[in-house]
Amino acid sequence: MPGTSTSAAQTWAGLSRYSSALLLFFIFCAVTVVGLFAIGDLRKAGIDQQNMYAGLVLSLHRIAALEYQTQETRRSTLYALSTTDSNLHVKYADQSREADHAVSAGITEYLANARTPNEINIGKRLERDWSTYLSVRDEVLASILEGSTKEAVDRDLGEGVQSFDRVRQDLAEVERIYDQQASQQLANVDATSRRTIIRVAAVLAITLIATIASVWTIQKIKMTGAIQLAKLQMEFVASVSHELRTPLAVISSAADNIADGLVQSKDALKIYGDTIQRQSRHMTELVDEVLIFAATKDRKSHFVSHTVDVPEILHSVLRQTPELATASGFHVELEIEPGLPPVKGDSSALARCFQNMIVNAIKYSGKSRWIGVKAFLGHAQVQGQREIQIAVRDRGIGIAKSELSHIFEPFYRSPAVVAEQIHGTGLGLSLSKNIAEAMGGYFSVISELGAGSVFTLHLPVAEDPKSQMPLEVRVDGSTEK
Amino acid sequence: MGRLANPLLVFSLAGLLLAGSPSKAPSAAGPPGQPVPNLEPLAIVVNQANAVDSLSMADLRRIFLGERGHWPNGRRITLVMLDPGWPERAVVLSDIYHMDETEFKNHFLHGLFTGEVFVSPKTLSTPEGVRKFIFNVPGAIGYLRASDVDKSVKVIRIDERLPGDKGYKLQVPSRENK
Repeated sequence: MPGTSTSAAQTWAGLSRYSSALLLFFIFCAVTVVGLFAIGDLRKAGIDQQNMYAGLVLSLHRIAALEYQTQETRRSTLYALSTTDSNLHVKYADQSREADHAVSAGITEYLANARTPNEINIGKRLERDWSTYLSVRDEVLASILEGSTKEAVDRDLGEGVQSFDRVRQDLAEVERIYDQQASQQLANVDATSRRTIIRVAAVLAITLIATIASVWTIQKIKMTGAIQLAKLQMEFVASVSHELRTPLAVISSAADNIADGLVQSKDALKIYGDTIQRQSRHMTELVDEVLIFAATKDRKSHFVSHTVDVPEILHSVLRQTPELATASGFHVELEIEPGLPPVKGDSSALARCFQNMIVNAIKYSGKSRWIGVKAFLGHAQVQGQREIQIAVRDRGIGIAKSELSHIFEPFYRSPAVVAEQIHGTGLGLSLSKNIAEAMGGYFSVISELGAGSVFTLHLPVAEDPKSQMPLEVRVDGSTEK
Repeated sequence: MGRLANPLLVFSLAGLLLAGSPSKAPSAAGPPGQPVPNLEPLAIVVNQANAVDSLSMADLRRIFLGERGHWPNGRRITLVMLDPGWPERAVVLSDIYHMDETEFKNHFLHGLFTGEVFVSPKTLSTPEGVRKFIFNVPGAIGYLRASDVDKSVKVIRIDERLPGDKGYKLQVPSRENK
């Protein structure tokens, strides 16, 4: 028989209960992610800027050093022209050579760092032109040291100036490339910065929207819940009033008839007495149910836990259920697995739980007038543990899938049930669920509209069957002896 | 008299007149009766680019006297001397020039005036200066103690002998003697 388990409904109910916390957690996660994202992006932009700045400074330093040393090479050579002292000639020649070594090292470094073909070409051209200038410079120096000043000047003006100008042009080209690279890097950093701002703004906007949506959703859920609860409570009041009015009307009219002397015979009086007694008991049970539910909702109800024999309680409930006694031609198919171990729980609470299940099956069995009650040993969801499953089945109207997630909610009554004028308070299943959970058990439901339903109560097997020590169990699951 | 009009030439001549003491140059060998000092070869060095590897003592003398103006490759010869007072200079004056300081100066004064001398020697104050000068000038020739020679200059053979070879004539008192 196809059906739907209540586990999904339970999960959703649990999620709904913690929806505020979940949404806040989601917002916290989102804000954290956004924060990390923004920090990462800003850090990257900062590193880019630092790299760019360091690169610019290094490039400027390199080009400045190259320009200075090339000038120094030539300047020292020209200084040598200003004296006839051979010792000074040697000193200036030394200075010029030191400077040219620095230039050569700078060019080598530039070539080592050159990446683009243009950079490499210019670097090689600079290297070549510098070498050409140095050979002229060597000749000029030699002429100066030999004392041939005129020859030195002629050579410098003839070849030295031109070759040195070529070197200067090459250096200007290198500087231009550095400028281009710096501009490109600046543009990149600017673009990165703009991108970062847009990203952060977008993500913050999304976060803000998510926060607003979350707050709105929380408020709506709470509002809807409050409205639904108020509606259910109104319906409950109406339902209870209605449930009470019927027996009250019967009792009242019976009492009126007796008081007016309309009932004379002993037999008639007995019938009236039975009717009043039955209706009073029904009212008492109804009031008890409401009170027990109220107590369990306030978490004040205390159950006395013993090892309980399930078949015994089942037999007792089936014997004492008035709905079964009054329903003529109702067939109950009872199947109890022999040798069932006991469970731990409150016998009267469990009896009420079983009774609710059976009464519900009777109420919603439709025209089939058949219910099946089965108790057997099964495996619990927790590995290695056993449980007793008490399944009550009917072949009645069944429950729509959309209703399954609500049937355990207090005061809930299906619109279809209300339409069919099936009386009830909407508390039976909710109360049964609370009792089951207080005993460490739970409910599962399989149902199909028009085909019937199976409500199964899962109760864990008592660990120590011999233990008879009373154990007080609160409905919130805590225990005390 | 175009040469006299050249200010560099006049400056060089004046430098030669003013430089050094007129005293007799010290000889490598000590006076008789004195212990013979430790000697060290005096290398004749040229620029590394100079193709000349070897000279006879006679050729060397001609070059040092300024009677030869160019190397076989056409490069002008530039003679480099240390300032007066250096033992190396004293050895060169005595063993190559066979002159004392006064005769040396007179030789160049006279030769430059008459045009018999083509090369005016450049005077440097330290052996390191000499070495650097020769390194910078392709046609330069000078002298250094063997211990002052490095790879920046080239040592040439004199009469087919390198400094340190047996029979090598140019020897300077070792610095250890001080």
